[in-house]
Amino acid sequence: MIELLQISRGGSGGVTGAKILAEAALYEGVESQAIPKYGSERRGAAVEAYVRFDDKPIRIHSPVVEPDIAMVLDTSLIERLDLLKIKQEGIIIINSKEIPKAFKGTNRKIAYVDATAISLNLGLVAGGFTLVNTTMLGAFAKATGLVSIENIIKGIEHTLNPRIAPKNVEAAKKAFEETKVETV
Amino acid sequence: MVGKTVTLTGNLAAGKAAEMAKPKVIAVYPITPQTDIIEYLSGLVSSGKLEARFITVESEHSALAACAGAAWAGVRTFTATSSQGLLYMGEWVFWSGYGRLPIVMPVVNRCLAPGWSIFVDLQDSMAFRDAGWIQIYTKNNQEVFDTVLQAFKIGESKDISLPVMPCLDGFVLSHTTAKVELPDPEEAYSFVGDYSDPVVEVDVDNPWAYGGLVGPEQFNIARRDLMKAMERAKAKIIKVNKEFEETFGRSYGNGLVEQYGDDDADLTLITMGTMGDEADEAIDQLKQEGYKVNGVRVRTFRPFPVEDIVRIAKKNHKLFILDRAVSFGHEGPLRIEIEAALKRYNLDIPTSGDIVGLGGESVPYKRIMKIAKEALRS
Repeated sequence: MIELLQISRGGSGGVTGAKILAEAALYEGVESQAIPKYGSERRGAAVEAYVRFDDKPIRIHSPVVEPDIAMVLDTSLIERLDLLKIKQEGIIIINSKEIPKAFKGTNRKIAYVDATAISLNLGLVAGGFTLVNTTMLGAFAKATGLVSIENIIKGIEHTLNPRIAPKNVEAAKKAFEETKVETV
Repeated sequence: MVGKTVTLTGNLAAGKAAEMAKPKVIAVYPITPQTDIIEYLSGLVSSGKLEARFITVESEHSALAACAGAAWAGVRTFTATSSQGLLYMGEWVFWSGYGRLPIVMPVVNRCLAPGWSIFVDLQDSMAFRDAGWIQIYTKNNQEVFDTVLQAFKIGESKDISLPVMPCLDGFVLSHTTAKVELPDPEEAYSFVGDYSDPVVEVDVDNPWAYGGLVGPEQFNIARRDLMKAMERAKAKIIKVNKEFEETFGRSYGNGLVEQYGDDDADLTLITMGTMGDEADEAIDQLKQEGYKVNGVRVRTFRPFPVEDIVRIAKKNHKLFILDRAVSFGHEGPLRIEIEAALKRYNLDIPTSGDIVGLGGESVPYKRIMKIAKEALRS
């Protein structure tokens, strides 16, 4: 089983992104589960979501505690990551122009892309929030290879309104091209 | 059309099953974490995809009262609720059960206030144990879909005629997206069948009184009838579970309980809801460590599967019950039922148990493993 912890800000589409990822995994022939963590979260607050992938039915329903993959949709939230809990052989995917200093010397595999710039260029903004959820799914496909970019696109088209899906597809594709993976 | 595999939240799985059963009347009032179910159906009715009378009311009390009226008129009826909403329905929950009105009402389990919380425990539905409703608890989104579909077939059977509460853990299932196999809608409808022969059907040309004043004699006839119907419901649930398997290739134990593991285990863990699924994971991990643990998930709390519990208990002399609700001043409601079942068959098997997962507290398989190891040592 592969487990993902995603941290985003309420309003940036993180919960929808996790759902799309579960749908994309289905096309990939992988069992999946997307759990949004509800509580007093609101727009702008840090929001967690968990996604599980497995080749057999998933019987675990509790939140992910020790993720294989951590994905952070907002650079200012990286300090919320507990590196001790993320598996050493795992990967951290961040929305950032460069690898943040905090990761230097951690011997971690980091994938990074300036998702905010990609989304802004495509006009993916709603209610004052830049929507980076689908953009980061492109980064996820590139960084992990768990789900192909084709299936991410299929997932976006299945889940989102046809009016807004094309821009989101473009954002995912662009992020897929631009994501860099390095071990620091 | 053919069936398809999709990803859905537990709420949408419940909504899709209701859609395929084509209820004629849906009367609703929103409450977290149930609201997605009725929002989905509201969308279907307003866009003309589902032909039903969709009644929005000012409270849960009225929602279930409207459903009761519709059920008395002899049509397929659906609603859904949670927690405080279920409490507010209270009077009509009993009216519907004792009135033998086969309403299907998913309860998305949520704890009761105070403290104010929206997360899961089973205190809400457990409070209505004695209301004459069939209660079926589910472990995953697929079972939510399957159980809502089965609920119409079970409750509306002429020899049963009882309302059914399919129960799903709030958020843990209701808001979690997971794979669900959806059948072809026509095949799903034909499995449920028309509600063509209701026990009660208001006929304006042949007026009767419903819920009128009765003396002790008629009253007791009605109550004993209800007791017998609930007893017959066991066989009906088993039959529907079997028919479901023949039609769709899925089943849940015998319909009343689902067992995972070996009869000759050193410990039997008894659970309900998603904790049962999580316990199965714990049992596999424990097996790798050399522990022999058996898992029993009680699917129907009403009617209570006394015979199954006794059969399993006879082979497994160490029982540990995990409850997600409390009967204050006593124990967890599930443990109370298990102990009563053992006593009824003069089985002198001591039980132990714990109350866990209240107010949405997570019960991961690692914790269940720890609980099991401690129980094995004691």
